[in-house]
Amino acid sequence: MSNDIDGIKDCDVIMVIGSNTTETHPIIGLRMKQAVKQHETSIIVADPRRINLVDYSQLWLSQKPGSDAALINAMCHVIIRDKLTDENYINERTENYSSFADSITECDPDWAEDITGVPASDIEEAARTFAKAKRGGIYYTMGITQHTSGTDNVKALANLALLTGNLGKHGAGLNPLRGQNNVQGASDMGCVPVFLPGYQPVANDENRQRFEKLWGCQLSSKPGLTATEMTPAMLEGKIKAVWIMGENPVMSDPNADHARKALNKVDFLVVQDIFLTETAELADVVLPAASYAEKEGTFTNTERRVQRVRQAVRPPGSARDDLSIINMVSERINYGQGDIAPNGFRHLDNTKLIDKASGVFNEISTVWPHLAGINYDRLEEAGIQWPCPDTDHPGTTFLFENDFPIGRASFSAISWKGPEERPDSDYPFILTTGRVLYQYHTGTMTRRSQTIENADSGPFIEININDAERLNIADGDTVLVKSRRGKVSLPAQVTDKIEAGVTFMPFHYHEAAANLLTNDALDPYCKIPEAKVCAVKIESVT
Amino acid sequence: MKITIDGKEIITNEEATILEVAKQSDIDIPTLCYIKDKTSDFKCGLCLVEVEGHDNPILSCETQIHENMNITTKSDSLIKIRQEKLTTLAETHFGDCKAPCNLTCPGQINVQGYIAHIAKGQYEEALRLVMERNPFPFSVGRVCPRFCETRCRRLMVDGPVSINHLKRFVADWCMANKVDMKIPKNQFSGKKVAIIGGGPTGLTAAYFLAQKGHEVTVFEAESKLGGMLRYGIPEYKIPKNILDYEINTILRLGINIRLSQKWGVDYSLQDLQDQGFDAILISCGSAESKPLDIPGGALPGVIPASDFLNKVNKGEELNYGRKALVLGGNNIAMEVARSLTRSGVDDVTISYPRAKLEMPANQRNIKEAENEDVKFLLMASPTKITKTEKGLDVEFVRMKLGEPDKRGKRLPVAIPDSKIHKTVDTVVVSIGQSVVQNCFTGGALEELLEKSPTGNIKSNTRTFLTNQVNIFAAGDAASGPRTVIQSVSSGRRAAENIHAQIMAVEKEAAESRFNFTRGKSFDNVDLKNFEGINHKLREKMPERLPEIAIQDFDEVKLGFTEKMALKEAGRCLSCGCTAFDRCKLKELCIDNAINLNKTGMGTSPQYKKDLLHPAIAVDLDKCIYCNSCVKACEYDALDLSADAFDEKGRAKNISLIFNDKCVSCGKCVDNCSTGALNKKSQIIPIVSEKVKDVRTTCPYCGTGCQLILKVKGNTIMEVTADPEQTPNFGDLCVKGRFGSSFVQHPDRLTTPLIRRQKGGQLEPASWAEALDFMVGAFRCILADKGPDALAGLSSARCTTEENYAFQKFFRAQIGTNNVDHCARY
Repeated sequence: MSNDIDGIKDCDVIMVIGSNTTETHPIIGLRMKQAVKQHETSIIVADPRRINLVDYSQLWLSQKPGSDAALINAMCHVIIRDKLTDENYINERTENYSSFADSITECDPDWAEDITGVPASDIEEAARTFAKAKRGGIYYTMGITQHTSGTDNVKALANLALLTGNLGKHGAGLNPLRGQNNVQGASDMGCVPVFLPGYQPVANDENRQRFEKLWGCQLSSKPGLTATEMTPAMLEGKIKAVWIMGENPVMSDPNADHARKALNKVDFLVVQDIFLTETAELADVVLPAASYAEKEGTFTNTERRVQRVRQAVRPPGSARDDLSIINMVSERINYGQGDIAPNGFRHLDNTKLIDKASGVFNEISTVWPHLAGINYDRLEEAGIQWPCPDTDHPGTTFLFENDFPIGRASFSAISWKGPEERPDSDYPFILTTGRVLYQYHTGTMTRRSQTIENADSGPFIEININDAERLNIADGDTVLVKSRRGKVSLPAQVTDKIEAGVTFMPFHYHEAAANLLTNDALDPYCKIPEAKVCAVKIESVT
Repeated sequence: MKITIDGKEIITNEEATILEVAKQSDIDIPTLCYIKDKTSDFKCGLCLVEVEGHDNPILSCETQIHENMNITTKSDSLIKIRQEKLTTLAETHFGDCKAPCNLTCPGQINVQGYIAHIAKGQYEEALRLVMERNPFPFSVGRVCPRFCETRCRRLMVDGPVSINHLKRFVADWCMANKVDMKIPKNQFSGKKVAIIGGGPTGLTAAYFLAQKGHEVTVFEAESKLGGMLRYGIPEYKIPKNILDYEINTILRLGINIRLSQKWGVDYSLQDLQDQGFDAILISCGSAESKPLDIPGGALPGVIPASDFLNKVNKGEELNYGRKALVLGGNNIAMEVARSLTRSGVDDVTISYPRAKLEMPANQRNIKEAENEDVKFLLMASPTKITKTEKGLDVEFVRMKLGEPDKRGKRLPVAIPDSKIHKTVDTVVVSIGQSVVQNCFTGGALEELLEKSPTGNIKSNTRTFLTNQVNIFAAGDAASGPRTVIQSVSSGRRAAENIHAQIMAVEKEAAESRFNFTRGKSFDNVDLKNFEGINHKLREKMPERLPEIAIQDFDEVKLGFTEKMALKEAGRCLSCGCTAFDRCKLKELCIDNAINLNKTGMGTSPQYKKDLLHPAIAVDLDKCIYCNSCVKACEYDALDLSADAFDEKGRAKNISLIFNDKCVSCGKCVDNCSTGALNKKSQIIPIVSEKVKDVRTTCPYCGTGCQLILKVKGNTIMEVTADPEQTPNFGDLCVKGRFGSSFVQHPDRLTTPLIRRQKGGQLEPASWAEALDFMVGAFRCILADKGPDALAGLSSARCTTEENYAFQKFFRAQIGTNNVDHCARY
């Protein structure tokens, strides 16, 4: 997030697109509702489903899955056409405005209505409402990114924020809501094939040499493969050994069957997890790890706030915290000896977990200036939002107040491409996927928390009431859902909360795994798979 | 703005109420209905304060501060008003704070809590809860007279829960499953404590003192530890290997042991003081049998019970002949008789001057002796023993009950000319125990040690101090023979006193005895409480048949199976309140000295417990209609109403409904001022030892809500949140509050697994084997195919530090950038 959670209450307009916030980020969703009540904030929801936030919104745009960029381009078109742009901001802080403006002259609301299914008048209203607000915040999640055009979608939203001067001030911003507790931290730390810690490209000689010096070793300049690229590389025999720490790709990856085949193919698979997940079952070595309540360290939340994780209980049996496991492997691989692993971290059993973790954190704060001012002592009271360059710095609630890292922010011309797989006569429905409040990701944790299992009602597919009637499907009937990649059967939830032609499934349930159906086609830039749109057919089986 | 509260000047800028300013300034104004930033029509009325210039007290929650306001929050008249209001609420509040079993247990063990753990299958945690207060679960689980079961309310349905068998089950289960309890221990305090006697009292004291970080040395006269558990209670009740295991668990804390060191012979109290011990605890038990003071009482073949049991328990096989007589009716006498039966004696008789019901022994123990064909000669008192050719001739006089004395007690008196004779081979005398026969010897301090009239060491019942400085006495040595659980309790309390004394700190205040109850005795408990509870008879402990059991010293009772334990735990009615640790009503009643015996309390249930909500259990009998739940809810999901209000303003016929806006976040429970709302998953009342609050970050979505994990033992009891902490300010979703039980799920991986052969099964392995296997394969592939043939997938669930170390491993040590995580899913 460019901005912070606390700033939501001061937004005049909130545009929520591709995010079922009250279910996926309940407390952020709550803050949005409170903003409506206490600040008279207007909410614009753009989502194919009538999500709960629609009840609190001024406007609901029900775009077809995969048509987001067209919708946003049309909003930008209206804003430029009606001269509602923030001219000062554009002049002082951005570049490439005119070529961008030129690129969307054709993208008027009527053009977008055809693609998105959203009435042109609603697009006009949304554009004007957003542009006229003093503080407009954009919030999105995987509904924007998990597309073959995911990068373009984000760029389109950036255009909207820049056009209205909403990047670099309080109560505004471009705010992706992180779906997992520490996606931010894992990304910050360079668990990404192209970046060293702190988003420093591996291909850049200067960066690499700095790290070679810090770490005392030679580093490869060749960017690695993303997780989505690793799957085909395994099938092709290029990747022979894989170490998976705390992931369950067999359940979470689109076209999950494909992932299973790939992991079966490798010579050696190590899975480190707290449960014997579907992925762990395929492993040659399973290493028992500690849960969040059994370790020390930090998570960085969606608003860049570094917060402490503290040990409450001991791990069961001989399970170990992940850091100790990494250090033990690290020691063995290089025949290291003594109490310092070759990666530089203490790993002796009698070292306190907190000392091991803070030792690593101290190294991180020396390699990444954004964290230079943060240490465990400071985190004792409360979390701190990076960038935090020195120990007197209070942290940064919103980014880009005075400048952008690249000087001026650049508009990008986006041409709408649409999803890779579209419905046809064989597979006439669009399937989109997401989460429900009661579950989380592949369910390894929530499905083993009894209260949650009791409160949740299990897997379902949402089908529009008219489609259901045509297919002779009643609410609660078991249906068979097929895509080109797989099939699952599960109960139908017949509803008017979703448009005709579109269906929705949560992906948490192993007994009806949505990702057996989804498409693993990738966005060409960031290699994200198109889990949010694929074509399916539905058959009644009862 | 400047105001004064209770004489303290406070500078504040904010527009705020008196109550809010007081809260910010850590001045406690009692309230049962305050929720930050929320108001409602209902006012509990407790937050009244006196303000200069106002004739009557005013509500601090609805009065804005103004310049130079002078406020008093505590005065006699305010306390009186608050007492009246609290009394009104208490009069109808209905429920049990603590369960009767917990209240009755001499060890004050959280019985309901450990049974709840068992019901959840958490046996290790159940044992941990027992061992919070009792390090002898194996022994107590075998020999306890079960004070708790006599008060179990299930008795009013079908029969009490077999509590003690459950305790034994968890102990045995943990031993069978090789569970290491890993009992934590503080750093060395710099203090040394000597303990005289390694029986249940001494070892219990050692266990608690060692946990506090003191260096403890136990001096034991015998060659092994255990005291009466080893040398008094025979093997068929507590097998020696079980006892060894139990004692080893205690010793693992790091306790010094000095065996075969007899106090007064090998060392004196002065010696211990000279060796620098900061405190000495005498817990040597009362192993000396009182002598039989009749002619022939010292003849060969007339043996004191303690000598007899000592020999039996050391495995010394002696010939006691065919017939034996046991004089005395205490618990020890029963064990003597049963041990004689197992030592080749065909005919064992216990004689006692009164009736069987009046024997001091536990009736259960008497029954067990009877089952094994032990005979009883009652209403008879021995007068003389003579040696004859046939053996020992014991002369008795028959007894009858005399006229009632002043207190109405009828003592047995001899019937003139009613002599009878019994010829036996052995007589064992079990008519009482004391610490020493005469007086303490061995040193000056010993001689100064004051004795009680009954021959025990005199020690203060509260502080456990003897008449000598820094010398304490506890257990049977101070009280005479008692049960094991009483010894344990005594040892624990002595340890608390010793700790406070040597560290010069205040002893932790004892828990208040304030307690709401649904009825102190069974007579007072309304049968309506048990409506809808189906009969479920108690599980019967499997045991060896008496005729087989008497052939050897092997254990008679065989223990519950897991299935039986689960069934039995399921019978618990969970009387105690699971809001025990958070109930504001109780807290304010205690603070304002409300005496429930005077005020009275609810006596019968008015409502049915409502269990419809998937996460929340509702008990409206405890509701005081404070409206905190409604105010706390961010989703308008609670519909709370009452039909009417009685003459004292109390709500009648309350209805609480969760409407369809409810998202099961549980915030209403965290804000409930009593136990009216409870988390269904939190079924362990938190009594006695406190929970530890651990602040951490939620493991679910990226919002990063700050959680407070309430931890006891190795269990996250519940999850709450701090209203002052960013980014969630006390709010959590259903996953935050209810989604941490996976941590203790039995599916958790507990050991590395490896597939030794391709296509084979995953099998348990040691860490060394698993890591060697992994690293061997990695090295091979690295050498063969180069670094880019390896890849790592890290996790957005793991910490930042772990992610950093993981990518560093792949980049710096393997030499590839093939490292990614799940940001795209």
